[in-house]
Amino acid sequence: MRPILEFTAVTRAYGPRLALDDVNLVLEPGELTFLVGPSGAGKTTLLKLINREIRPTSGEIWVDGIAAHTLKASRVSQLRRHVGVVFQDFKLLPRLTAKENVALALQVGDLSISDDEASERAMDALEAVGLGERGASFPHELSGGQQQRVAVARAVVGQPRLLIADEPTGNLDLETSWQMMDLFADIATFGTAVLIATHNVEIVTRLQRRVMTLVQGRLVRDQPAGRTGRMAWLASS
Amino acid sequence: MAGVVVKGHFPRRRIVQIVVANVTRYLFRGAARNWLRNIGSTAPALSSMTLLLLLSGLVGMVGFALHNLEQAQAAQASLIHVYLRDGVPSTDVNALWDRLAKDPRVASVTYVTQAEALARAQRIPGLPQLAAASNGNPFPASLDVQVKSIDDAAAIDSLVRTDIAVDAQNPTSYDQGAYQRIQAVLFGLAVAGSAFLLLLGFVAVTVTMNSIRAAIHARRDEVTIMQLVGAPRWMVRGPFVVEGAITGALSGALAGLVTFGLAVAAMTAGAASFTQFAPGITVTVAAIASAIVFATGLGLGSGSSLISVRRHLES
Repeated sequence: MRPILEFTAVTRAYGPRLALDDVNLVLEPGELTFLVGPSGAGKTTLLKLINREIRPTSGEIWVDGIAAHTLKASRVSQLRRHVGVVFQDFKLLPRLTAKENVALALQVGDLSISDDEASERAMDALEAVGLGERGASFPHELSGGQQQRVAVARAVVGQPRLLIADEPTGNLDLETSWQMMDLFADIATFGTAVLIATHNVEIVTRLQRRVMTLVQGRLVRDQPAGRTGRMAWLASS
Repeated sequence: MAGVVVKGHFPRRRIVQIVVANVTRYLFRGAARNWLRNIGSTAPALSSMTLLLLLSGLVGMVGFALHNLEQAQAAQASLIHVYLRDGVPSTDVNALWDRLAKDPRVASVTYVTQAEALARAQRIPGLPQLAAASNGNPFPASLDVQVKSIDDAAAIDSLVRTDIAVDAQNPTSYDQGAYQRIQAVLFGLAVAGSAFLLLLGFVAVTVTMNSIRAAIHARRDEVTIMQLVGAPRWMVRGPFVVEGAITGALSGALAGLVTFGLAVAAMTAGAASFTQFAPGITVTVAAIASAIVFATGLGLGSGSSLISVRRHLES
């Protein structure tokens, strides 16, 4: 099976500083992976490279068969239809309702989707994240957790092959954070590769999924699923 | 059981309708809504562009009138009135006529009687009063000589000055250097007008670009979100260009209407002398000028916003 995401010797420099240094990684379909590391380790840079917000200084990045490292600016939108993105600050359009925010993501990717179809699929996605009743609400009428669910619904409504999330629980309480993680796990179950950058040690430790650790731009550890808990040292002994 | 492949008829017309509806909504309706919402920040650009386009329209019409005036002057300068002596015998007039008609530099020769000269003078502002003040008809009969090239006018003038049929006091209408002076003045006016129009265009483009830059800045979050959810470039840039086009079109329409109104008002107020001072300016010309002003506004608005979007949106 072709990997959803592949980094080969990827380096990204900001002036003289290396934000990412010779990173190699592969993500398979249906895999839920955590990306951890201290602040400034390069997590956000890595996610931005996937979404082609920035280009690598060197190396190759393949996203669902698309060469993101050589992609022209005019074709970036095509790549982004393969990648769902969830941000710490939700990034919902304040003038649109929850349903319109989700439907927008569908229609900008495919103009042949009618309003009725977009609305129906947006409502399906909102129901899937437990917000079927709040489709008509504007973002400011929703709690942080609900806004993040809308953002997740928007990210997955186009059925992307890869979902990336940058600190998705950063603005949420612990209980809501766990609900979000359940959602991400469900999404991965249906074949979407999910990559979550987070600082939340408790979630990472308890979920026992694959964990990649970045330190000063280098991928220093890549622990497979089931070997990431407190007793992970048993696996190497 | 074997599967059955059903070949459905692709509802192409329906798809086209949906695409058109979506493009209209995201590109035009969204732009119109944003334009109305940002009317406060757009108003300075709208008013200054209207003023600039109005000035451009008026300068353009004045330029057109001056061009016509120059053409008329050129035609007039190449037409020499050879004034005939009072009581000159017709044989002398015929001899001069023949001589001029045979000259290869002359296009045509026309005999103008005193009565025709008076009638012609009465159509020129100021001259009817002069004619009325004198006893009888003060205007002499003449041979109107149309030279092929204005450069030959001086030579023809020299040729006829000493002729026996010609009035010794006031032989011809030829004024050496008058046409050149008029040409120099008109050329100067044309250069000044063009420079003024260029300056106005530059100011209009700058004002619109700044207004679009302000709009981009005000909606940078929205733009970022649209880009991140995979909106194609035209969908992100397009509404800003349409907004610029709306500003330009409205400014152009306003300025065009005022230009037309002023021209028609001037024509109505000074009907008799208007054609003398602004030759060629008619209602049709004013309407065409208004249409050009509108098109210029539309072009400047969309063009300058496109430049602004290209310059500021990528960053």
